[in-house]
Amino acid sequence: MTPETIFYSVAFPLLGVFLGLVYKGIDRRISARLTSRIGPPIRQPFWDVGKLLLKETIVPKNAIAWLFNAMPILAFASSLTLLLYIPFGVLKAPLEGYGDLVVILYLLTLQSLAMAIGGFASGSPFSSVGAQREMVLMMSYEMPLATVIVGFALIYRSFSLTTIASTPVWSIVSPLAAFGVLLLFVALLTVTPAELAKLPFDIAEAETEIAEGMLAEYSGRNLALFYLSDAVRGFAMAAIEVVLFFPFTLSSILGLSLTGFALYAVEALWFLLKVLIIYLLAVTLVRTSFGRFKIDQASRIFWVHVNLVALLGLALIWVGV
Amino acid sequence: MAKSTYYIPVGPIHPALKEPIRVEAEVEGEKIVKVDVKRGFAHRGIEYMGMKRNAIQTLYLSERICGICSISHPYAFVITAEKALGIEAPPRAQYIRTIIAELERIHSHILWLGVIAHEMGFDTLLFWTWKGREKVLDLLEFITGNRINYSMYMIGGARRDLKEKHIRAIKDAIDYYWKFTEHMKEIFLSDPVYKARTRNVAKVSKDIALKLNLVGPIARAAGIRMDVRQDMPYDAYADIDVRAVVPQDIVGEVYGDAYDVTMVRIYEIEQSLDIIEYCVDNLPEGKILAIPNYVALLAKIRRTKGEAIGAHEAPRGEVIHYLKFDGRDGPSVWKVIAPSYNNINSWGPLLIGAEVADIPIVVAYIDPCMCCNDRVAVVKTKDGNELGYTEIRKKCLEKTEKIRRELK
Amino acid sequence: MPTKVMFLILKQLLEKPFTNPFPVKHAPKNVTELIEKVQKGEVQINPPVPVPEGFRGKLHYDPERCIGCRLCIMVCPADAMEWVPELKKIRHYVSRCMFCALCVDVCPGKKFPGEEKAVKALSMSEEFLLADYDKYSDNLIEEPPEAKEKGI
Repeated sequence: MTPETIFYSVAFPLLGVFLGLVYKGIDRRISARLTSRIGPPIRQPFWDVGKLLLKETIVPKNAIAWLFNAMPILAFASSLTLLLYIPFGVLKAPLEGYGDLVVILYLLTLQSLAMAIGGFASGSPFSSVGAQREMVLMMSYEMPLATVIVGFALIYRSFSLTTIASTPVWSIVSPLAAFGVLLLFVALLTVTPAELAKLPFDIAEAETEIAEGMLAEYSGRNLALFYLSDAVRGFAMAAIEVVLFFPFTLSSILGLSLTGFALYAVEALWFLLKVLIIYLLAVTLVRTSFGRFKIDQASRIFWVHVNLVALLGLALIWVGV
Repeated sequence: MAKSTYYIPVGPIHPALKEPIRVEAEVEGEKIVKVDVKRGFAHRGIEYMGMKRNAIQTLYLSERICGICSISHPYAFVITAEKALGIEAPPRAQYIRTIIAELERIHSHILWLGVIAHEMGFDTLLFWTWKGREKVLDLLEFITGNRINYSMYMIGGARRDLKEKHIRAIKDAIDYYWKFTEHMKEIFLSDPVYKARTRNVAKVSKDIALKLNLVGPIARAAGIRMDVRQDMPYDAYADIDVRAVVPQDIVGEVYGDAYDVTMVRIYEIEQSLDIIEYCVDNLPEGKILAIPNYVALLAKIRRTKGEAIGAHEAPRGEVIHYLKFDGRDGPSVWKVIAPSYNNINSWGPLLIGAEVADIPIVVAYIDPCMCCNDRVAVVKTKDGNELGYTEIRKKCLEKTEKIRRELK
Repeated sequence: MPTKVMFLILKQLLEKPFTNPFPVKHAPKNVTELIEKVQKGEVQINPPVPVPEGFRGKLHYDPERCIGCRLCIMVCPADAMEWVPELKKIRHYVSRCMFCALCVDVCPGKKFPGEEKAVKALSMSEEFLLADYDKYSDNLIEEPPEAKEKGI
């Protein structure tokens, strides 16, 4: 372990949390404008977190206290770890070589799992229903998500994210496989709101049905940790999509020959812009233009429709590669 | 065997409810196996208050029964009082009252469309429909002086006249709402998520609707042609041939579910626009109050004895008022029956076998108004015991007997 | 899957927000300071939404015109009027008022010499910002000035 790695492992999570909250702010603002409202200032999520951290943390009487308190930390830790696997523009991922796409898949699952366990541990009927729904939803969207990752493994013969990021996927596949990759992209876009518990798949936290579900009993610091992990997860998910499907660097498009700091800065900003576009498309626009599905409807959508799209994409890649 | 069911309390405070009521659901997984509806959280004793005041005061008290039906209760009240007292409102006032009532129907239906969208997490539609609703509220403020609680009616007429500028504003608003309703039809009735969440949810068959005595748009969505404006026309409705809006006339088939209710309500907005257009074009000239002097009116009420039952088709269904005048300047008996009272009865049968996710839709699809329907308080004896059902029933029978004896 | 709502919201993105803005963007630290600054013209505030003609706002009471007939007390549904027997005038509690304007309808008013028609003592003003911490604050009680001086 070099000093550089240690620096990265501190700086990346901090940067990730900051960016996650900024993106959440932008998301809220754009969503408000889409519905003819003014919306909160972009720094509102920071205030929210600050306020939550100041508030009293209440543990319900019939909750399993240690489990109830541990799960927010687990969710936050796994989302921070997730950040360390994402190559940031042309920067290499800090944990490069220690894990790959499969680890990312499990880290994403771990957060949902932590929320579900926290919900079960809080001993409220609303949380239990929410946690049950989250488990069902997780089982439904894991399959398309895994299919996408297998598709990439087929193309690159590797699970490493840095390898994938260094060569754009579109440049090494045949036209037929490229269409398959497009289908995988569509499948991943549909999974994104479910993974992030956003409308139309925020079934586990349905406000009007079960009063925020899994989060119903959480307050204060615990809720702040869930809030932060949610923000980070949103950023990370969009970043993964960019890395998988749009890894083009700005210098390669424009034919620039930048070096040193300028290269890093320009590429980082370009990367953030790409992430923002994906975030707005996959999260903001979708969550504003749909209502909430029922859990059985959502399951059917993932098991039948999205799965079909993803498997078709996989088959095309298999034939095309 | 392990306990496989657990119990979900919805209310009295819950995000799906706008007013306090309690739905206790026993849930097996996502499925509801047992349900109990408890009401009575918003009882204010308003009828008793009304029986202590004079009739003009009580009329304005009736406006405060419900915030959204703030013209429906006064309308039923003035119709009943006019019947009991033998006063007839001048034709112009009758037309003005109809216009205000129909404007209220438009805003109430649009409000419901927003609320039902919010219940399924569709906040975009909530913001959009309520944005469109602002226009009719502004119009009502322009005509009556306030956005809600219009204070427009008086026993034997209306208090404010429609001037040329008001009529121009109404015509403007009608043009706007023809377009807006067309737009709403497109958005609501074609949206895949909306359809997925409402089709076959809260499904009422014609039989059940008749058995449970459902009223208003809910009964009409189940295919029953009932509408107070059609069955017992009053005021300007007598000149207009109002026909109940039922889904079989619109699409040819009846499901009786929340989707059909949506359809019925949207088409009723168009019907209201038609009625307002007719009233504005055929507005008779003349005075607007039968007895302009309130002191004379109160004196007449003091002189007259009589009782009557009157009904008005509120946006939610029929509102029925009973009034009895016997020598006081106000009613000695005042009884209000609000539409939600009947419609809440449908929650129990509809929720059994439904999913937890359907609770907000089933709760909201009748547009419940708790403060309209809570008319009974829990009665306690002096030593703190609650009176049971049998005792309360016995007392009710005693009172009925007493009234019957008085009538003879 | 593009739906009609998606086109609707994209159209709304290009329009101006529909919300009526608050007077100032952020809650001021000191309200009195802000009001002073607004009066001096240093700070611009978003004006309140204009009310239409015939709006029923806070009740305005003119004791000079009051003849003490007590009709307003008779019709007031909320019992917001109180009779002041010493002065033969009324006192009006705005916090109880329900803005139905019945009292304005019944008020006979008084004709001063040289006037053609009687002018009512009660009228509805356009003032609607009535929030207060104290329901008996000066702003929420309309009474003859003598009543306050004599402490009736």
